[in-house]
Amino acid sequence: MPNTPNIAIVGAGLIGRMLAVNLSESRQVTLFDKDDRQGSRSAAHLAAAMLAPLAESADSSRIVMQMGQRSLALWPSLLKKLHQPVFFQQNGSLILAYEQDHGNLVDFGHRIKGEMGKDYTNLTSGQLAELEPELARQPHTFKHVLWLPEEAQLDNRELLESLAKTLEDRNVVWHPNTEVSIENRQVVFDGQRRSFDWVIDCRGLGAKNQIVQTKPGKHKLRGVRGEVVRLYAPEVNLNRPVRLMHPRYPIYIAPKTNHRFVVGATQIETEDQRQPTVRSALELLSACFSVHKGFAEAEILEIKSGLRPAFENNEPKIRVDGTLIQVNGLFRHGYLLAPAIAEQCVALIDSTLPKPPLFELLIEFTENHHD
Amino acid sequence: MTTDRLNIYGTQLDSRMLIGSALYPSPDVMQQSIQACGAQVVTLSLSRQNPQANGGASFWDKIKSLGLHLLPNTAGCHSVSEAVNMAKMSRELFQTDWVKLELVGDDYNLQPDPIELVKATEILLNDGFKVLPYCTDDLVIARHLVELGCEVIMPWGSPIGTAKGLLNPYALQAIRDRFPEITLIVDSGIGKPSHATQALELGVDAILLNTAVAQAKNPVMMATAFARAIEAGRLAYQGGLINERSTAKPSTPTLDKPFWHQVKNG
Repeated sequence: MPNTPNIAIVGAGLIGRMLAVNLSESRQVTLFDKDDRQGSRSAAHLAAAMLAPLAESADSSRIVMQMGQRSLALWPSLLKKLHQPVFFQQNGSLILAYEQDHGNLVDFGHRIKGEMGKDYTNLTSGQLAELEPELARQPHTFKHVLWLPEEAQLDNRELLESLAKTLEDRNVVWHPNTEVSIENRQVVFDGQRRSFDWVIDCRGLGAKNQIVQTKPGKHKLRGVRGEVVRLYAPEVNLNRPVRLMHPRYPIYIAPKTNHRFVVGATQIETEDQRQPTVRSALELLSACFSVHKGFAEAEILEIKSGLRPAFENNEPKIRVDGTLIQVNGLFRHGYLLAPAIAEQCVALIDSTLPKPPLFELLIEFTENHHD
Repeated sequence: MTTDRLNIYGTQLDSRMLIGSALYPSPDVMQQSIQACGAQVVTLSLSRQNPQANGGASFWDKIKSLGLHLLPNTAGCHSVSEAVNMAKMSRELFQTDWVKLELVGDDYNLQPDPIELVKATEILLNDGFKVLPYCTDDLVIARHLVELGCEVIMPWGSPIGTAKGLLNPYALQAIRDRFPEITLIVDSGIGKPSHATQALELGVDAILLNTAVAQAKNPVMMATAFARAIEAGRLAYQGGLINERSTAKPSTPTLDKPFWHQVKNG
């Protein structure tokens, strides 16, 4: 592809792969990653991949919801471009609470930044039984339920694999398991130093020491720990993700294909990288057992911990420093936001960014040239 | 007015609001909320962050950067030894001998265990800590804590996170009246600014709260509301409240009307 921009993407987690697929349609793209092709160490590998802009808006800013809604609209066409099918379901989501936590549910509802035509509704236990018959047969009756009909989810590992397969079919050069750094907007790897028209840094926490700071402390990146369980539960049939109010954080149960369930996630302000703790495992597992007794005999396929990269306002940021673009801080919203963020990055490279910007404060240009 | 300050083991503070650092939507909102209410004391917890590996460093740095007094707590501890260990770890990490001592006695409503609390308080006071014990509103437990040497006690208004306000104003009043020299802080259960005002009106010295601000729809606005409510309550206490009466008393004297004409069929 002569005369087309030559682009390096450093970091092949979710946003790196997504950008690579979007950009490699008409440009030359090279991927660099310290991780393997499965992205085993990425936050994207661990996540439950719920696409829940409204539910997430309770504890995040309006811009996150707006980008989430844009992404929700983009996902179907994006998935069509991929070379392998990916489980995608837009079947709504439910938020439940036990009687003693009813106040938490009401508060959560109040914090949801709903808009006309896009808001939650309250369900009776009878209406819950129509949507999720098995929940109605549990010993505990959920008297108060919030229903968010637009919310969706997908299978994160199928997606990561399908993105990889698509890139492979397009002969995109990919350097996995490679120690890589960015110096003076050049990519340094295997003792080489290479220049590109654009370098896009998508390393998440891997970029912690390299995030450009215009004002001291303004763009400090930190890790926020999360723990997630994956279960195989042949006795459980749920039609959509369910969240259970918990005094510290909502716990969700996301049903994937073939009776596989993702149960998460703790949210702890620490960069501790230990394996999951007993306390967290007990909380997650007892929460899902309390919702559906069929989880008693479920097989624990996996229990893992990871760190979410976040800025101090918990909002994502695209930083542009000459020909270096840094995309980071997707926090707990990788799948929720990635398509909208990738779309803005491509527009940036093509010089087709809308004015005024679609999402306020997402993109920042720095004057801080430091080479 | 300038001499009316909150006394915590000899440290004089202008603000009568102590604030927690958990449950905010983001560290930025936490910082803005704390700044908005003018609190000079921030509570924080080591639990779950793997302090041995300095796991929470970036979050703690954010709190430290505010330049306020830190009040580490022992949230989640069930036994004396757990609480004492966490207090010691916090002292080392945050370079402060203040500790909010909290011992869970019942997991359902997180009610403090008064017996274990008294034991742990004694150990920590002897070790040089300045203990701010989180207790129930029981007068006798308060007396034990004061006799051990606590200069501050922190009874609950209602259980943690319930937002039910002052369930037993009588009991708080009794503690206030019996220990006029002790710094009395209502910790937990405050849901509305008016709850805080009520506590200050009856002579409580300060309020410690977290959930009511952090989980509000707009935490920064709610932090400001609480700061003003606490100030109002303190001024009301100092201004001297009038007492309730069972009959109306006109604020404008009606000299032309003999009082017996006001009583129906009198």
